[in-house]
Amino acid sequence: MSTVQQKAPSSSYKINWEKQESLAKLGILVLAAILSFSTRLFSVLRFESVIHEFDPYFNYRTTKFLTDKGFYNFHNWFDEMAWYPLGRIIGGTIYPGLMVTSATLYRVLWFMNITIDIRNICVFLAPLFSSFTVIVTYLLTSEIYSTGAGLVSAAMIAIVPGYISRSVAGSYDNEGIAIFAMLLTYYMWIKAVKTGAILWSTLASLAYFYMVSSWGGYVFLINLIPLHVLALMFTGRFSHRLYVAYSTVYCVGTILSMQISFVGFQPVQSSEHMLAFGVFGLCQLFSFVEYLKSKLTKEQFEVLLKSITIAIVSIFLGFAAVLTLSGKVSPWTGRFYSLLDPSYAKNHIPIIASVSEHQPTSWSSFYFDLQILVFLFPAGLYFCFDKLTDANIFIILYGITSIYFAGVMVRLMLVLAPVMCILSGIAVSHLLTKYIRNVDTSATSFTSTEGKAARPDVSKKYKKYDQQNKGVKSEIAIGFVVMITFMLITYTFHCTWVTSEAYSSPSIVLSARSHDGSRIIFDDFREAYYWLQMNTPEDARIMSWWDYGYQITAMANRTVLVDNNTWNNTHISRVGQAMASSEEKAYEIMRELDVDYVLVIFGGLTGYSSDDINKFLWMVRIGGSTDRGQHIKEQDYYSSNGDFRIDKEGSQTLLNCLMYKLCYYRFGHVYTEAGKPTGYDRVRGAEIGNKDFELETLQEVYTTEHWLVRIYKVKDLENRGV
Amino acid sequence: MRKLSIILFLVYLINSIVCNSIDNEVENKNVDRTIDITSQLVKISYKITLDHKSKKPINNYVFVAPIDDCNNLSFISARDANKKEIKLTQSKTLTECSYSMTLSAGSLPTIYIETVYAKVLQPYPTEIVQGDRQLIRYFGNAYFYSPYKTLAQKTIVHLASKSVESFTQLKPSSQSDTQISYGPYENIAPNSKYEIVIHYENNTPFMTITRLERTIEVSHWGNVAVEETIDIIHSGALLKGSFSRYDYQKDSRSGPASIKSYKTILPASASGVYYRDTNGNISTSAMRVLKDSVELDLRPRFPLFGGWRTHYTIGYNVPSFEYLFHKGENYMLKMRVIDHVFDDMVVDELITKVILPEGCKNIKLIAPYAVDRMTDTLHYTYLDITGRPVITFRKTNLVENHINDFNVKYQFSRIMMLQEPLLVVVFLYLFFLLVIIWMRLDFSIIKDREQHVHKD
Repeated sequence: MSTVQQKAPSSSYKINWEKQESLAKLGILVLAAILSFSTRLFSVLRFESVIHEFDPYFNYRTTKFLTDKGFYNFHNWFDEMAWYPLGRIIGGTIYPGLMVTSATLYRVLWFMNITIDIRNICVFLAPLFSSFTVIVTYLLTSEIYSTGAGLVSAAMIAIVPGYISRSVAGSYDNEGIAIFAMLLTYYMWIKAVKTGAILWSTLASLAYFYMVSSWGGYVFLINLIPLHVLALMFTGRFSHRLYVAYSTVYCVGTILSMQISFVGFQPVQSSEHMLAFGVFGLCQLFSFVEYLKSKLTKEQFEVLLKSITIAIVSIFLGFAAVLTLSGKVSPWTGRFYSLLDPSYAKNHIPIIASVSEHQPTSWSSFYFDLQILVFLFPAGLYFCFDKLTDANIFIILYGITSIYFAGVMVRLMLVLAPVMCILSGIAVSHLLTKYIRNVDTSATSFTSTEGKAARPDVSKKYKKYDQQNKGVKSEIAIGFVVMITFMLITYTFHCTWVTSEAYSSPSIVLSARSHDGSRIIFDDFREAYYWLQMNTPEDARIMSWWDYGYQITAMANRTVLVDNNTWNNTHISRVGQAMASSEEKAYEIMRELDVDYVLVIFGGLTGYSSDDINKFLWMVRIGGSTDRGQHIKEQDYYSSNGDFRIDKEGSQTLLNCLMYKLCYYRFGHVYTEAGKPTGYDRVRGAEIGNKDFELETLQEVYTTEHWLVRIYKVKDLENRGV
Repeated sequence: MRKLSIILFLVYLINSIVCNSIDNEVENKNVDRTIDITSQLVKISYKITLDHKSKKPINNYVFVAPIDDCNNLSFISARDANKKEIKLTQSKTLTECSYSMTLSAGSLPTIYIETVYAKVLQPYPTEIVQGDRQLIRYFGNAYFYSPYKTLAQKTIVHLASKSVESFTQLKPSSQSDTQISYGPYENIAPNSKYEIVIHYENNTPFMTITRLERTIEVSHWGNVAVEETIDIIHSGALLKGSFSRYDYQKDSRSGPASIKSYKTILPASASGVYYRDTNGNISTSAMRVLKDSVELDLRPRFPLFGGWRTHYTIGYNVPSFEYLFHKGENYMLKMRVIDHVFDDMVVDELITKVILPEGCKNIKLIAPYAVDRMTDTLHYTYLDITGRPVITFRKTNLVENHINDFNVKYQFSRIMMLQEPLLVVVFLYLFFLLVIIWMRLDFSIIKDREQHVHKD
């Protein structure tokens, strides 16, 4: 710890005050770090060390490639297994930070003869980095406010569900390390602003580089830092320290970020980065003006200022206009629009709207993910305003912008969670420090360490409060402390409960309770993928909805047409058209796309609700959104009452389309529930409308044990004369 | 041309040597042959009573297999009347394989020979649909093939089921229940052949392990870890057309030739068993601890139909005191070359790796039968510096009868066992020392001014 300084060995046997403090700090931090690691292991303990969900499978596959083939091959990797027949340039279309991190870790461990499997590194990387996040949160908060606040927020971020949702063991995704990188950058930035040292600024840009290499969310960061600078300028806090810090961070950071091939020239071209560039220019102007002001008389200065301002503004506007018109500055991209205007994506890009994590956040999920932090956050903001500093302004800006973004998109809750913890930590620490002084010394030792942890220079400030608070009675103080403790305890219980119940299912293995209370495991996904891997030709091409693309390439090692990297709308649309067309039409499309096998997810037997029939309307919408799919109209798939129904009332187009047939092939004979007719779909709660049909151009080749995954082979054209 | 003639001559020469060793005076007085084709293997056992025309003692006998059979012959063993193992010397010509054995003087002139052939049974038809039974053809010889004259012989064929499509008749021959008998035939000339075909139903698992990699890692701290990576293919009649889960679930007898699960038997002391593949744990398995073994009921992720393959890894730990013996610094590891995977298994290729502790010297491998020893390598894992020696050996075409122990003898000084804990101790010691020194030193060039007073 940085605070541990050499002291004369005055009392050699008794641990002195400062050492006690650092011991307590170290203890709390280590405990919080261990807690944050272990609370994320629910799924590993319940199931096994397995990668979760969809995107992590892609990351896992690329990481394996990186460790096997080396960085150079990884960089030049053209993946022909995805997006058949287009392929995908992996090296140029991903943020490599995550893979490089785990590959480095892997190499280092293997160098030390610690022969750990790469899959386990991938599984445990997110918990590991969340432990680092705990430490970095402590550093950041103690830099911004006080050590006590730092400890509280470190403890809070260790278990905050909003962050756990993306960083449980097995959730091997960019966000897992990006939050750490983001907070690290903030910490370095605050340090840089406070000291004005080039060292800290350079470290900040290095941290920024790591952030850019790991997550697309770096755009938030590169807008927040300039915003901070701008805010400091407007509040008259612009200083040379800030000038040095920002100029260094912007220049070095931008050049470094351009080294990531996926980012490329975006930092100087796209409009998302223009704020940073503009503020950089403004910094220069501001300093220049300050300089001139100090050298010239007032009249001369005013004339000069006017003329220069007009000239620069007009030149700048003209330049920007030319670049935008000539296409050099990329237009606002869809994802960014959907941040500013939640309804934008829904109206314009069905593929963005179809992803559940791009939906706006509901109020309940704020409480679910943050619990008491929601209420402590405004208090924290108040205390920051109360004692305004350069660093506090930053955290205020961060809090306010991120709460907006989190409201727009569910997945950005992740960005909000750390600042919620920081501000709540400030609030709790401040309040406890204030009231604990009036509690008898016999109070619990836990809370007293919190209070004592405040640094000497901060505690000077509290003397004022002390004098004001002389009137607070000990009983009230005790009551208050008990209340806060109670709240923190409920927070702990809530977080653990949420983690255990909501965020710890790998989604690749499903589990359910049977009637007698024992656990049933549905391992159908892996069953099907493994079947594909073992029993189909190596170059087989598999058509499925794009959700399963990454999993098929990673687990079945087969070529897919579309995957979760939804870069080519027309291609996905073509698959959507095939699924939504009648069998003959679909056969034409499948022949055109060289499809060998078709894979559908069907939950009707088990009651698994996120299956392909429930996603089907998106296929229709996306399929119909391009020119070639104009014959597919969403309206045709609704019943006459305007409902989406799969029973006899449903529309004939739906009952005869490929997806329907593939899902319900021979399902009409199956009894699923007692007292219900055959072919009763347990998800939709209805008896299917089209029971007896045969497939002519496809052949069932595999269906998993619980019918979750069904695989069909596309038959070859028939021989002539047969 | 010339070369060929030389080769031919050589072949003739060898042939003649072999043939020369055959004593024409010896006769097979009586041969009882049992052909067991109830599983995917063909197990033939012979009881041969010998006789010498001149009543001299017989000290040499040759058992001959035609070349077609010879390639599929996985295992052969011979015992004398006292059930004592007789050593066999193999020689191979273009037309046949012969195994000559030396009989000890004074022993009764009865020999028991046991042979196991793999991949002889052929599915016919070669492709069946899901609900079909699997029909198998066995091609064999109605007579005992021998370079000696056979006076009397009888053959009994055990079948897997009652249903027989057809079988070659050679009077006297008959079928009763699951049994077909040929013979008795009398006075059959040497090297006689009469091909018989038995076409019958056999739904027992036809599974071939195409590759089995068995890794045995020895720790002197009391544990031996065994891991087997197995590739299996259903080598029976191929599945034609579609696989319907509906039919498969509706009727448990649907897909009689498919394999839902099979039993693997592990040593009784096996613990920490895992069963997984490249996608993670396979959750469909059951373990039963029996008195003298651990029985695993392994279910592959999907049922195996004809032509379908799967691949998995199974691993477990056993305590080393049962398998590792030592006297002073001399150690001996006694483990199985191959262990049971399923009943009547066929293994195409086996690679066994033995990873010994770091610092072993003078390693000697004693295999129960001929194996190809491959180059030794080093394996690095936790806390290794010089690496652990790895002994690798390979064998092809194995069956259950090959389950046998091998011995690895080596020297190891017990002091070396302390190396790994010491390494950790030294590392931690150095680490703490470094921290202690670091905390006590002042690396700043100039004395730090008072702490930065920020613009608060």
